[in-house]
Amino acid sequence: MRHSESRGRRTIRWRHWNRSLHRDVGYFVLGLTVIYAVSGVAVNHTRDWNPNYRFFRQVETFAPIVPGDRAATVAAVVDALELPPPVDAFRHRPDQVTLFYEGWSVEADLSAGRAVIERPRRRPVLYAFNRLHLNRDRGLWTWVADLYALLLLFMPLSGLFILRGKNGFAGRGKWLVSLGIVLPLGYWLLR
Amino acid sequence: MFGIRRLLTVFTLLCVVSPAFGADTPAEPSTYGKALSDAELTPISELLASPEDFVGKTVKVEGRILGVCEMRGCWIEIASDEEFESIRFKVEDGEMVFPVEAKGRLATAEGTFEKIELDLDQTRKMKQHECEEKGEPFDPETVTEAAVIYRIAGQGAVVR
Repeated sequence: MRHSESRGRRTIRWRHWNRSLHRDVGYFVLGLTVIYAVSGVAVNHTRDWNPNYRFFRQVETFAPIVPGDRAATVAAVVDALELPPPVDAFRHRPDQVTLFYEGWSVEADLSAGRAVIERPRRRPVLYAFNRLHLNRDRGLWTWVADLYALLLLFMPLSGLFILRGKNGFAGRGKWLVSLGIVLPLGYWLLR
Repeated sequence: MFGIRRLLTVFTLLCVVSPAFGADTPAEPSTYGKALSDAELTPISELLASPEDFVGKTVKVEGRILGVCEMRGCWIEIASDEEFESIRFKVEDGEMVFPVEAKGRLATAEGTFEKIELDLDQTRKMKQHECEEKGEPFDPETVTEAAVIYRIAGQGAVVR
């Protein structure tokens, strides 16, 4: 009788610690989970949009220009579009020139009399989220990301032992866990 | 309750200033990948004039950045010292990530000069990918010849 009581106390103590850790780790990983989840959705759809930058592109037209030498061509485009003097310029073809400015550029097609002024801007918040999620900086963040991965692994494992009865792992839990394993496995086998 | 409000305020402020987190400072030189060697610069025009002489060799080049891979930052196009010429400096995805703001800046880049011979199907896929990146329409029928590409497989770069 005494032996069984002691085992019961140990089980209760173990479950108590598991629940407390599950709760506190959950609080701790909330911020990181928001970053990784939001960025995860964002970078999943890179075919449809650029998750890091927005490109402000403004189309301007001008009377076609007969290409001359590099300096004359650049001067003619600058004059036609009423632009400030560029930092530098490059010609891809005699009639196609790119003007470079601080943080923006102009692509001009002299024959078509068409120019695109491009200004890239980082998406606020999302740029930082993606950079952290994809571990662009390496170094210290690699350790943070590894720690987060371990804590994320701990969360569902500890969650298995919080409830008992029909809502615990032995009840509906085992079916939902199985579903979560069958989903990726089935996709992998059937893809 | 006041504590939660204060926390939310701090969080909101962090979100507002977050673009500065880990951001490249475009005005300052940024280093990517391995440190550059002390090797002499090779003019890009020299590489492109006799590319076969350089295939498989490590080269160091310098020039204005004409374009950056918008999606992954996995390549930069570097202007030659001669007009109408440029070369692509390609890196493994995620190995180095060039920010879009690098366009128009000067790059010193080092890597292995390589030759890639594509078949017609691969050429079409490459052109399609380039059009997708630029958001331009693509008609595969316009590509009728297989391409040979010379590029630099990147090891390291400095952008300033």
